[in-house]
Amino acid sequence: MGRCKRKQLIASLLILLCSALCPTLSHADDAGLVASIEASHKFSKKLSTSLEMEFRSRNNFRTADRFSVGGDVSYKLLPWLKATAGYQLLLDNNKEKLTYQDDGVTYNNWRPSYWGPRHRFNVSLTASYKIQRVELSLRERWQYTYRPSTITDNFDFDEAMWEDDEVKGKGKNVLRSRLQAEWDIPKCKFDPFASVEFHTTRELEKTRFILGVEHTLKKTHAFKLYYRFQLTGSSSDESNIHLLGLGYTYKF
Amino acid sequence: MKRFLYYSLLTVALGAALTSCVNDDSDMDDILAQYLVEPAAIELDFSALDEAPDVPVTDENDSAYNDYVENSPWNKVINITFDGESVAINGTVPGVMVQSSGAHVTVVNMSGPVKFTVSGKTLNGSLKFYGDKRFQVLLDGAEITNPTGAAINNQGSKTMYVVLADGTVNRLQDGAEYTMVDEEDQKAALFSEGQMVFSGKGELNVVAVGRGGIRSDDYIRIRPGVKIYVNSTALDGLRANDGIILDGGVINVLTSGVGAKGVRSGGPMTVNGGRLVAINNGDTRVETEENDTTACAALYCDTIVTVNAGMLCLKATGDGGKGLNAKHDVVIIGGSFQAVATGTRENKKPKGVKVDGNFAIGGGYFYTYSRRSDPLEVGGTMTVAEGYHSYERGPKAITIAY
Repeated sequence: MGRCKRKQLIASLLILLCSALCPTLSHADDAGLVASIEASHKFSKKLSTSLEMEFRSRNNFRTADRFSVGGDVSYKLLPWLKATAGYQLLLDNNKEKLTYQDDGVTYNNWRPSYWGPRHRFNVSLTASYKIQRVELSLRERWQYTYRPSTITDNFDFDEAMWEDDEVKGKGKNVLRSRLQAEWDIPKCKFDPFASVEFHTTRELEKTRFILGVEHTLKKTHAFKLYYRFQLTGSSSDESNIHLLGLGYTYKF
Repeated sequence: MKRFLYYSLLTVALGAALTSCVNDDSDMDDILAQYLVEPAAIELDFSALDEAPDVPVTDENDSAYNDYVENSPWNKVINITFDGESVAINGTVPGVMVQSSGAHVTVVNMSGPVKFTVSGKTLNGSLKFYGDKRFQVLLDGAEITNPTGAAINNQGSKTMYVVLADGTVNRLQDGAEYTMVDEEDQKAALFSEGQMVFSGKGELNVVAVGRGGIRSDDYIRIRPGVKIYVNSTALDGLRANDGIILDGGVINVLTSGVGAKGVRSGGPMTVNGGRLVAINNGDTRVETEENDTTACAALYCDTIVTVNAGMLCLKATGDGGKGLNAKHDVVIIGGSFQAVATGTRENKKPKGVKVDGNFAIGGGYFYTYSRRSDPLEVGGTMTVAEGYHSYERGPKAITIAY
């Protein structure tokens, strides 16, 4: 495949994805950044580990949304099947919560945004299949996230006073299913990739569409640039968000 | 080129991270400021009041004519002087029988207007009147405490003129437990079946620990110059079944009984002058068996409240306590009206002003505040006449000034 044709292929994929997403875009959508730094190490052909730090922003890049640090261990059960177990410590900037009384106009309570930790555990199985230069992978991940109880400020409009409010601790199970395609383009140092991921609890909570490129330098440094669109489910009060993703991985 | 690309990506990531420091909360500062507003200070105020001269009604056809002690002849006088466990009674009037047991005095008045001048001090005494003739009680430095009932009790249905001798300080106190007499009421430290009219330029302090402070089963009129302070830890501070007319005076009422009212009027409450400060620190009464609740109020009125002049300063601090709880209309034509509710709302909503009927204002100054509920609730229509100087309506406070 000539260089020109490859570019056409990438451009076509981008247009296809964008046109698929366009009907879902609206002015209410948010935008932000996902930036990550990762170090990964292969102990053997089967066993590897990684450590990652991530930062996210929201509110059109203006507000910090999350800091996280985590690590995982992966083991290749079969040449095409990989098992992974990981842990992440998340520090979230939880969004404000403003509630109204029954009339829908009178304020009831206002809890400003606050920072709080979460602990996340996950195990996943990833099956890969290569068709010529395209590697397809399907990852099924069970994820359990525990949010410890936190005391926050809450303004009670009826009482006209600030009071301590306990956000009770709770756990949440999510099944994440991701289908990904990666292209290994000959003589090209930028490898495009695309994925779609579904987050399911009792219902579909959100869907992530990702389109990006990865550039590897001397097999040690890898840089990722991608666009991620997160579509939230109808029952969620969160808005959809467009994210610019930047990632750096140091492999040793 | 590659290096440039990497550094560009790194710069973008770091730049975005470092500039993501804007809070995305709603801008609630102005809204919170409206909710966090502090109430106007309302405290008992014993300072002198510069009042217009008290001009008695001289027209016999005026319905208020008989409320003026000046319009009756007081040439019949009996002096009652308390002295500890005993009392000295001087003067005789045909048709008037005065008996005493210790310092407990009983008067049967079958004559016309009679003036009883009361002075001296007793910690175990009382004064009780029978007879359907109007009479005058001139409190001339009297201190009466009755451990078993009302300090002064008028069982007659005619007017009892309570005159506070100029410059004197008088004190009445009831007992925690009342010894009742069959078919007789005694509902307060100073109680009258008939109307009571207060006048004079002295002071009257009433302490109620068993029942109410001052109560009439008819109406009460208070004239300029009078200074009254009622402190009730039991029932209502100042109460009249058929109405209260405040023409003047400096009135302070402090109550703290559960479910009690500072001032309660079963008839029209009319303020023509003076300054009434009523502070109620009591909580809502909860009848557990019937699951019924009775909220406190600094002022409670079953019928219309009219403020023509003078000052009404009302404050309720207990659970569910209201500044004004009016079961009918409220009309403010002049003067100054302030009501503040700062209590909790566990059993009732502590509103600044609650009006079941209509609310109308056309003059004067009106202010209401509630920390934990509505500052003003009007069941009927609310009318604010044009011409006001300012009209500020917030979620916790409302001010209307002409």
